[in-house]
Amino acid sequence: MKILGLQVTWMTKIGYLAVLFALTWVGPLVPDALAQYPDKPITLITPFGAGGSSDLTARVFTTYLSEYLGQPMLIKLVPGQAGQKGTLEATQAAPDGYTLIFNDNYRDQLHQYTFRNDYYDTLEDLVAVARINYGQIAIIVRSDGPYQTWADLEADARVRPGKVLLSHSGLWAALFVPAQQIMRALNLRFRMVPYRGGGPAKAALMAGDVAFSMAFPATIAADIEADAVRVLATAGPERTIEGVPSFVEIGLPPNAGYIHRIVLAPRGIPEDRLVILRKAFGQLQANEDYQFAMRQLGENTAYLDGAEYEGDRIESSLEFRNFVKAIADQ
Amino acid sequence: MIEALLAGVDVALRIDTFIWISGGLLLGMLMGALPGFTTSMGMSVLVPISFLVGDPLIGIPFLIGVYKGGIYGGSVPAILISMPGTGASIATVFDGHALTKKGKSRKALEMSLFASAISDFFSDVFTLVMIIPVAAVVLGFGPPEIAAVMLLSLVIIAVTATGPVLKGLIMLCLGVWVGFVGADPFSAMARYTFGTSELYDGFHLIPILIGLFALPEIFNAVKEGDVSGARVATFVGERLRLAELRRSLKTIFRSTFIGTGIGVVPGLGQPIAAMMGYIAAKNSSSHPETFGSGELDGVAGAEAANNAVNGPTMVPLLTLGIPGDAVTALLLGAFMMQGLRPGPTLLTSSGDIVFGILIAMVLANVLFVMIGYMTIPFFTRVVTIKKSLLIPVTIMLAFSGTYLARGNAFDIVTLIGFGLIGIAARQAKFDVAPMVMGFILGRELEYTFGQTLALAGDDWIRFALTERFGMTAVVLATPIIGLLLGRRMAYFRTRALKRDGEDVS
Repeated sequence: MKILGLQVTWMTKIGYLAVLFALTWVGPLVPDALAQYPDKPITLITPFGAGGSSDLTARVFTTYLSEYLGQPMLIKLVPGQAGQKGTLEATQAAPDGYTLIFNDNYRDQLHQYTFRNDYYDTLEDLVAVARINYGQIAIIVRSDGPYQTWADLEADARVRPGKVLLSHSGLWAALFVPAQQIMRALNLRFRMVPYRGGGPAKAALMAGDVAFSMAFPATIAADIEADAVRVLATAGPERTIEGVPSFVEIGLPPNAGYIHRIVLAPRGIPEDRLVILRKAFGQLQANEDYQFAMRQLGENTAYLDGAEYEGDRIESSLEFRNFVKAIADQ
Repeated sequence: MIEALLAGVDVALRIDTFIWISGGLLLGMLMGALPGFTTSMGMSVLVPISFLVGDPLIGIPFLIGVYKGGIYGGSVPAILISMPGTGASIATVFDGHALTKKGKSRKALEMSLFASAISDFFSDVFTLVMIIPVAAVVLGFGPPEIAAVMLLSLVIIAVTATGPVLKGLIMLCLGVWVGFVGADPFSAMARYTFGTSELYDGFHLIPILIGLFALPEIFNAVKEGDVSGARVATFVGERLRLAELRRSLKTIFRSTFIGTGIGVVPGLGQPIAAMMGYIAAKNSSSHPETFGSGELDGVAGAEAANNAVNGPTMVPLLTLGIPGDAVTALLLGAFMMQGLRPGPTLLTSSGDIVFGILIAMVLANVLFVMIGYMTIPFFTRVVTIKKSLLIPVTIMLAFSGTYLARGNAFDIVTLIGFGLIGIAARQAKFDVAPMVMGFILGRELEYTFGQTLALAGDDWIRFALTERFGMTAVVLATPIIGLLLGRRMAYFRTRALKRDGEDVS
């Protein structure tokens, strides 16, 4: 028998096997203490499909982060089950700092209360490394539509309960949750029409199929410029657009309508490795190219260290749990 | 407008743009040829490169090259080893792989290349010229219209399936049912999951495709036994003749027309375009009964249609800033990273760059033919590999491709399950194509129909009659088209039977 042009006898075959076998042992035999973490690429699970804004954000920060970690960070897309598939995989990964997850607050802090879940508890199984940034949702209508202000829309929804149509990007996602919060806080009822993602949800508004929708400012900047879309309110306690009321002004809780993008690690990760990771994300913030790329995408870089974000995380989980329970009890 | 177009010509004719497009095309073809590695995954990995080069006229044409190359690349494993790596190349398997078995794989690949490039060229020109009027009608297609088109497509596929209509219908219904497995899209209630979390998300398309199309082929090859020295073919086969291409031109243009039309409607996509292009080619042929046994027209019909979708999907992205699928969502990100904001103002603010990109897209098709042509001898060499080596490699590709698609170990079980169904169906002479299309279309129909109901509310009669003429018209036309097509197919079948009878006497 010939392999690579060499006549191979059973003796040499055993020789090859012995070498192969030996090689498989060399790697693991090097003590971990000798190698400086990270000494191999880190996998970042993203529970989103290719092409969404979260995917793009992950592509940007992983590109520049390797400079500070000394190792590349590779994205592994694990979409499915509204993000639960990827989250489950992260919670079950070895807590060695080589598997992380990039998630948003709805998937991390809310979905375990809304979808059937017997497999994990994100608060117990994951720990925050860094909050990359956040986004504030805006309520939008067509500029040539009947609603000039939020008050117009609210009044119409009160007169015609369940008749005012709203397009959203999927169950318990970034457009759906704020809509639920509005309906609950203001005792309104909209007719919710689901679409596959924010793009199609916006298209439905532009086509006039629905009365209003929601969007993050980055995705509607061009439409505002062209005066195709009017913003009626934006999330948060403060106004972000002149003359447009904030969510608090229209009667919503101050933290409604925020999306937080977070990198998390399986809990049980060695403390020193968590420190190294958190430090790298902190250093990334000083990188001009990273800042520029995020600006181009229309995203802010409101970074928060993981240790600081943990407190918000626990609080927000509790709020979401009570919120979901209240809706279920209705 | 005209000035912007001329300025666009100026910015597009750059040597570095062409070099980057070529690189993108080659990468796309290689990625597309790898089963399970979808075009959107490839583009997603390459987005940072397009950003780092820092010039919209390099970065974006590069990604468009990957897109075009990827859709064509998917036809390579479909033709050579009966393994459609994406939904877009399902219809290519029927005649493409039959040609390979006849030792004509080179002809099939070249037909696929030329059909893809020609249709891509014309659909891009259409996009370039018609971008403003098309943008005006795109928003007219909402969930109700898409649901109606899905229903029509299901009917067309059912009546034109190979073999008895009843068998086609059974497979179609089976496919639709398979699509129901998993959480329902409106309330996330689990259906047919038997309490398992693996089935909660439903079945994934790639393992179904590879299981139904590739595994039965592998099974047959193994069953034939004595594969020690056998090869699929001893030589790479003849080239495509100019006369053969000319004979298929009509099919290519018909499919270009169909594909472009489907591309204009957001959310229909390549798999439906390819299937409709194939069915149209079969139906207008004077000998539809030979389709499926190695007809060059079949390859041309499918491949021209799926590539023609590419151009028009850019219209809603560029003019409204609305991405219709994962690929255009990635392009949206690439545009934004270059400081261009797709939307109503893009054409007026950066018209020269937009037209530059569109013109580069048209010209990329010339490079497409050249690069594709150079890769074909390399790909066709596959058929000259000994079967004893090729079969294990094919098995490996089937499993690795399935896992690669979304990194889910349960998909391997799905693959084997559908492989067994595929083998059984072949034994019982059931065509698996309606099952796959039922799976793809059934889910979409359910979703868009649900959306339609949510939009219509209680007053659906008024909704159908006063607001949605398009939907109502398509729904009313569906039984008529189905009946006409069904009759035509029945006529062809009896004619083929009669001819066989005469041959015997």
